[in-house]
Amino acid sequence: MADNRGNKLSIREGFKYHFDGASSTASGEDAALKEQDQLQLPIANVGRIMKQILPPNAKISKEAKETVQECVSEFISFVTGEASDKCHREKRKTVNGDDICCAMATLGFDDYGEPLRRYLDRYRELEEERAQQGKFCNTEEKNMKHGLVNVGTFGG
Amino acid sequence: MYSRILAGGRTGPHSLPLARIKKIMKKSGDNVNMISGEAPIVFSKACELLIEELTRRSWMVAMQRKRRTLHKEDVVSAVIATDIFDFLVNLVSEDSTTPIDLTPVEREKLEF
Repeated sequence: MADNRGNKLSIREGFKYHFDGASSTASGEDAALKEQDQLQLPIANVGRIMKQILPPNAKISKEAKETVQECVSEFISFVTGEASDKCHREKRKTVNGDDICCAMATLGFDDYGEPLRRYLDRYRELEEERAQQGKFCNTEEKNMKHGLVNVGTFGG
Repeated sequence: MYSRILAGGRTGPHSLPLARIKKIMKKSGDNVNMISGEAPIVFSKACELLIEELTRRSWMVAMQRKRRTLHKEDVVSAVIATDIFDFLVNLVSEDSTTPIDLTPVEREKLEF
C-alpha cells in the first residue's frame, strides 16, 4: 500500500490515510478505526519502567499498564500543545527541547525540569563528542566507539 | 543512566521509541509544525519520570488497600489525588470503572 507520493505505508497508516477526512457513509467505522488508531507508546516499555519502580514481588495488572500507557500519550499531547502554542505566539516554527522543558514548568511539572535539563545537556555533550569523532579516520573512529561503550555509567 | 545513551539498543539509546513519540507529538494539535530532533529525546526522559511518579503514587494506594498487585483503580485514585495530574482525570474516568476517591486518611498519606 502506498500514498500518492509512492511512499510505502504500513497497513495501519494506509487505513489512516484513507479514512482521515473521509466524508463517506461509514462514519461508525471511522470512529472505531480512530479509536484503535490512538497512538501509544509500546506497553512493554511502559510496563518495564513501572516494574523498575516497584518492589520485586509486586504485580501489575494489564489494565493498570494500559491506563498508564494512555496517560503517557495524553501527557505528550498536553505538553506539546502548550509548547507549540508558545512557539506560535513567538512566531517560531520549530518546537525544540527547551520549549518542552519550559512547557513542563508552566504546566506544574517543575520537579522534572532539573533532571530533564541535565539529561538534555548531557545528550548535547555526547552529540558534540560524536560529531568530533567523525573528524577522525575510520579506524580511529572504530576504536573510539569501542572505548566509549566500555566506559559504563556516568552516574546520575 | 548515561551508559544507555552510548550503548544503544533496539529503541535507540532511550527507553521509549523516539519515532513513536514524535508521531504522538504531531497529532497533538494544529499548531504543531516542525519538531526539533531534541524534543522527542526530552520527552523520552520526561515520560519515564511521569511513569515513575504515577507508578509510585499508585503503588502507595495499592499498599493502603493491602494489595501487592497494582490495579487500574489505584492508578485512577492516584491521578485524582494529584493536582498536576488534573489533565488526566477525564481520561482515566471515562470508562465503566467508577473512579474511587480516596478517604481523607488515604489522601493525607499520599501527600509527599
